[in-house]
Amino acid sequence: MKIHPFLKYVDLTIISVILAATSPAFGQTGYDVAKSVDERPEPADMKTDLTMILTNSKGQTRTSTLRLINVDGGKKQMLWFLSPADDKGVSFLKIEHDDQDDELRLWLPAFKKVRRISSNKKSEAFMGSDLSYEDMTNRELNENDYELLKEDEVVLNIPCFVIQTVPKPIAESEYSRHVTWIAMDGRYPVNEESYDHAGKLLKSKTFIFKKQNDYWIPTEIYVENIQKTHNTRLNFKNIHIDTGVDDDLFQEKNLKRLPIE
Amino acid sequence: MKRWLISQSVDHPKRTIILSIIVTLIFASGFRFFKMEDDMLKLLPEDLESRITWDAVQEEFGNTNLMFVAFGNRGHSVFDPEVLSDLYTVSHELEGLVEVDEIISIATLNRIDSEEGFMEVSDLQPPGDLTREEADDIRRYLMENPEMMKRVVGDHGDYLNVVVRPVVNVASDKFRNNVVEVTQRILGAYDIHYGGEIYLTGTMPMLMREDVLKLMKLGLALMVLIMLLSMRSVPAVAMVLAVILMSMLAMMGFMGWMLRLTGNDIFYFTLLNTSMPIILLTIANSDGVHVMIKFFGKLRISGDVKESVFATMNSLMLPIFLTSLTTVVAFLSLAFAPIRQMLGYGITIGAGIVWAWLLSTTFLPAMMMKKKWNPASRAITKPSLLEIVTGKFGYLVIRHPKKVLLGGLVILGVGIWGLFLLRVEVNIITFFRPGTEIRDSLEFMDLEMTGTMDLELRLEGDLKSPQNLQKIVNIQAFLETHPAVNTSISIADVIKQMHRTVMDDDPAFDTIPDSREKVNNLFTLYSMSADPDDFSSLIDYDYKTGLVTTLMRNISTSDIVKFVNEIKSYLAENIDDHMSVTITGMLVIFNDLVHLLVRSSLMSIFLSIVLIAIIAAVSFKRMTWGLLAVIPLSGAVIMNFGLMGVFGIHLSHITAILSSIIIGVGVDFAIHYISQFKNMARHGIGKNELSQQVVREVGYPIVLDAASNMSFGVLLFSVFIPVMHIGGLMVFAMVSTSIGTLTLLAAVIEIFNGKLSNGR
Repeated sequence: MKIHPFLKYVDLTIISVILAATSPAFGQTGYDVAKSVDERPEPADMKTDLTMILTNSKGQTRTSTLRLINVDGGKKQMLWFLSPADDKGVSFLKIEHDDQDDELRLWLPAFKKVRRISSNKKSEAFMGSDLSYEDMTNRELNENDYELLKEDEVVLNIPCFVIQTVPKPIAESEYSRHVTWIAMDGRYPVNEESYDHAGKLLKSKTFIFKKQNDYWIPTEIYVENIQKTHNTRLNFKNIHIDTGVDDDLFQEKNLKRLPIE
Repeated sequence: MKRWLISQSVDHPKRTIILSIIVTLIFASGFRFFKMEDDMLKLLPEDLESRITWDAVQEEFGNTNLMFVAFGNRGHSVFDPEVLSDLYTVSHELEGLVEVDEIISIATLNRIDSEEGFMEVSDLQPPGDLTREEADDIRRYLMENPEMMKRVVGDHGDYLNVVVRPVVNVASDKFRNNVVEVTQRILGAYDIHYGGEIYLTGTMPMLMREDVLKLMKLGLALMVLIMLLSMRSVPAVAMVLAVILMSMLAMMGFMGWMLRLTGNDIFYFTLLNTSMPIILLTIANSDGVHVMIKFFGKLRISGDVKESVFATMNSLMLPIFLTSLTTVVAFLSLAFAPIRQMLGYGITIGAGIVWAWLLSTTFLPAMMMKKKWNPASRAITKPSLLEIVTGKFGYLVIRHPKKVLLGGLVILGVGIWGLFLLRVEVNIITFFRPGTEIRDSLEFMDLEMTGTMDLELRLEGDLKSPQNLQKIVNIQAFLETHPAVNTSISIADVIKQMHRTVMDDDPAFDTIPDSREKVNNLFTLYSMSADPDDFSSLIDYDYKTGLVTTLMRNISTSDIVKFVNEIKSYLAENIDDHMSVTITGMLVIFNDLVHLLVRSSLMSIFLSIVLIAIIAAVSFKRMTWGLLAVIPLSGAVIMNFGLMGVFGIHLSHITAILSSIIIGVGVDFAIHYISQFKNMARHGIGKNELSQQVVREVGYPIVLDAASNMSFGVLLFSVFIPVMHIGGLMVFAMVSTSIGTLTLLAAVIEIFNGKLSNGR
């Protein structure tokens, strides 16, 4: 299973199961809808500044701002912490490989060291957020079963398909199933509920997309872990796409310097 | 009113009996609403300062009241794939319980590995079946991290430790029962031991109630036997027993009705209420015995049942009313106790006492009227052995009042001396006798595992500051110098481990980093590799409040207090304004609670004595009688606490509250004595014979009452030390107040006989 870069995640979003198509929906199956989402056009590269707000059950918050750059549909991704001051300078590089483990490297400026990291726990929270590594991973079309539950259900004023995705054992998912509302027009996710193996609702996710240069790009994602009563809000600003990001950027040495805006 | 009440029994016995039974059944029907509450933690006052700190700690870090489960087989290494597989199963099944927040065991811990610039956070024990190599790898990792190993493996490597953290505000009994059920089901092939404060508090109420119930039945049988031997009449004993049982039924039903009508949880039947049936039993017995003995005395003289019943009730109506009233007042003074449930206790037992009084003054004489007594029977014509002995004892006292008074004062002096020897002990392990299964289990955990006691230090300050983190390291080093402390855990331990890992696993870096930025980098590194929620029991969301948990073996409360004081001194000398530290933990709360209980118990006893003195003074129309009425009671209070000190019986939250209750039972005898004295003086008995006649008249019922109630001394055979104390206190209260009445009070009255009898 590939781990998508954060920007890819942003681009394709958590459930990026599922990327777009344009054909009308009539007579479609759940699989057809999922496939159309998977095939939704995406930009070659993307730069954006991201604000991440974590809120715990007592209403306490942690806010971080990060700069993200990715290419190749998110297979290569870099991320720099801009704030809070304690984190400034920490940066993260991720390169996905099809035939070997993904590379995850972290620059720790206070130690002046790069450390390779690994998480073999797909369900672990990423950076203390409510997003797990699995949430940030493309759902392989063939590792899930799909069922179209409803058509033309309006959510947030957007007509949606409602599909149920049930991961097959090969997916080794932390979830037992997802119910996803897919915009009929843009084939991007609007809402999703994810259930744990006990059948209890674990996470609820809401997405806001906007159209930019013919692409549907997310501008806000809200994820709530129902069981932990903890939530994460991601806001995307200064989104630039197809700017011709050089592939050579994605090297360990570049982690040490923050790219100019 | 008095005559009307007596005439109801004498003239309409059948109606009175039926009415009494119907009303009792109406009360008793409330039993269906009766509810037990075995969660001892709910008894802790919420406004206790150490409880407030403890609640804040729970709110921030989750429940710190841990349960420990140790299992294994002696001599067999736990680093065996099969044993670890069972550990995995039990850990994850326990995690699934709604009462459980977190499990700490090999099966749930993370390991942090570092190799050639690579850092990985992964499960210490991978899921599924393990190979021998994987089991060995776990052992190797733990050997390299001895502090971690200490928490999860026993000293000899043949027992595993599973630490179970409950959710906040869990019912300790339900939590305990579910954890025990799961572990016994899965770990049937192993030797299992349990420990932890929450395990004990969850276990004790149920076991103690079962134990008390068993011994109470034996005590009741013994009481019946003593009464039969002394009264020598089955119907008479049966009638007294009927009053006792009907009072008990009405009281328990009343408790149910009160819960139903008010919905207030003070009417739940808790561990503290365990003593309630025994106390009511003794009070109801006391009323019945006095009525029956007086009746036999009257019948011996007149031979006429109706006349004897009337005379008995005419003579005893006031003293029984007064003894009931004073006892109710004594129990209602529990409203001032810091434990809210004691108010429910006072109200409920107050209702039971009132009903016992009504039954003794209506139902009992009505039953006596219905029975065809044989005035020629030995029970009526011949005095019993106890009666003869009491008469002779009374004669001696009256002959030498000054010597008796002097002797009494000397004994009282011993009691006062003993007050200074009184010690507090709240460690629940001491509630169990050595050699019992629970005590053995706890001692095993102390000897081979991390121990079963915990003490928490709540830290406030900037916990990303290396200076503050170093202070935490120093505090832990200080704590671990105490011989009872096995280990301590804090966020500083995690920082040190991560620091070493980042620095290529070089042991020289098993330290707090030298800059705040480095500390922060470590937190970020962890958050990219694992769930930062792993630290939620060590540090709060803002990195401003932290917790040091100290795991230790059992020590006495006085040692805990000493240890807490040592910690306070250390903190005062070594911690500056940049960080504040508060010490908390269940033991600290219990310790505070006992001191509060002792103060409130003393206040409650003092208030009871004053109120009883006022009631007696008003009823007997003279201040002197009021003062005299409380002489035996005051002496008994001093002797109770004093002898506890002399014999090394510690004050605990249980004994502190029960001491004042049991003493409340002992007020009756003085009232019966004074009432009889005044009665006889009024009937013109000369002052030379007065005291002797009084002792002869009330001495026997007082002694029989006390002797039969002392049958609850069988509680001394309980496996629970607090229950033993209830038994001991019951015997003591009966002996001290009855003897106090027949010696101290009788001697004082005899010395001032002239003035008192003239002033009738």
